Amino acid sequence: MSLTKEIAVSLKNVSKTFRFSDKTFHTLQQRLFNLHKKNKKQHLKAVKNVNLDIYKGECIGIIGRNGSGKSTLTKIMSGSYIPDKGGEVVKNGTSLLLNLGVGFSHELTARENIYVNGSTLGLRIKEIDKIFNDIIEFADLQDFVDTKIKYYSSGMIQRLSFSTAIYANADIIFLDEVFAVGDEKFRDKATKVLEENWINGRTAILVSHSIGLIEKYCNRTILMHQGELLHFGDTKEAIEKYRSLT
Amino acid sequence: MSDNPSNMGLTQGNRLERIWLLAKIEFKLRYYENKLGLLWALIKPLVQMVIYYVAFAIILQVSVPNYAVYLFIGLIVWGVFTESTSGMIVVLKTKKYLYEYSNMSKLDIYLSSQLSIIIGFMFNLVVFVIALYMSGLSLGVNVLWFPVVFLNLCLFSIGTSMILSTIFLIVKDIKQIWSLLLMLLFWVSPLLYHYERIAESLPVLNYINPLAGIIINFRNTLMYNLPPDLTLLALNFVQGTVVVLIGMVMVKKIGARASEIL
Repeated sequence: MSLTKEIAVSLKNVSKTFRFSDKTFHTLQQRLFNLHKKNKKQHLKAVKNVNLDIYKGECIGIIGRNGSGKSTLTKIMSGSYIPDKGGEVVKNGTSLLLNLGVGFSHELTARENIYVNGSTLGLRIKEIDKIFNDIIEFADLQDFVDTKIKYYSSGMIQRLSFSTAIYANADIIFLDEVFAVGDEKFRDKATKVLEENWINGRTAILVSHSIGLIEKYCNRTILMHQGELLHFGDTKEAIEKYRSLT
Repeated sequence: MSDNPSNMGLTQGNRLERIWLLAKIEFKLRYYENKLGLLWALIKPLVQMVIYYVAFAIILQVSVPNYAVYLFIGLIVWGVFTESTSGMIVVLKTKKYLYEYSNMSKLDIYLSSQLSIIIGFMFNLVVFVIALYMSGLSLGVNVLWFPVVFLNLCLFSIGTSMILSTIFLIVKDIKQIWSLLLMLLFWVSPLLYHYERIAESLPVLNYINPLAGIIINFRNTLMYNLPPDLTLLALNFVQGTVVVLIGMVMVKKIGARASEIL
């Protein structure tokens, strides 16, 4: 059955190692005075040897504990991080990684941010003109359109970010904990967007701690544990395994 | 979506729009955040000009005809280069929000920053032309060379910025080193004294330092109504293209890791 499906994202032998140290000689002066010393490097394997195929039109969930490699894996799939040597990432179509509050400049006003963000998400200025009022209304920010967002509360920024992103043009969307938005009232509104056919026709990858949401919307689910892919398949099974992790 | 054939044209248009949008916003941020606004774009080169005029024309008695205009055109060209390079050295950090989570090309970020600097330069150029006519000189047919000379300046500025900003990812104090190098460049460029002075004492400098050729040709075409020095023009074009190509490779190779390093 899967033979007839088109691949949206495919990972082969993907690992990601972060190198860091408490003593990094970043500046020339430090390098010069520490010529004989080498940067002491610590390695952290955040993602270990992951292989997976995601097909077009699927809604995939990613669950796992804090620090299990969920976000790193999403960033690799979206192309924001490049994997270690030997790893291969194939992605068909444009993608967007939604992680609330990022993608905005705090020096700009809400209006400017909507235009810049909308444009980086692939919209034309004319299209943004048309949806501008809807975005502001959805985010409930009518009174602060020309305020720099550095004066916003974090909830306001998240609302703005979510509202802009739901109009984005992308074939593949990665949603990293985006439904933990704002107050309860806004969260309801946001989840409703999911139900209205926003995701339909696109490939969606949902990273979330809210098991209920994953259970409801995802056909297949990835369970990450300590950087390893423990399970990729049936959502119910994934959730059971996740719960049995000690 | 991607299977729509008209989508390619659309994304290209989207890209150009985005570069222009970002340039406008950056320009506005730079000048309209304060009371004097756009005036600042003019005040800086004008003040510099007055200082150097007093020091060199009055005190040291440098004898270059129309020294004020001569200084001004050099200083605004120099301004484009310093603003581009010292501003964009940290661009991958300040504009991280743009590329980190989307498919936006890093090249667009450099282009939009360069464009916003060009907008400021255009205002200065208008002031220059007014000053030119006030001192009894005028533009002539050789102004037609201007786009080529200007292209050389843009190539060299944006290429250098790309190289510096990727070096910044690895060596953070390139920022301080660059401000020293700029000082050196300032004094080996024919900004304050006549370029023949350099040509006499260190002739090689006008050829290794692309800014020298660019400034000389700006003066030829805009101030003296002379054709540009074609050797320098061609050389600067090659130098600019090489710097841009190196910059693009570096942005692609090293810049790809920018979102994890910064």
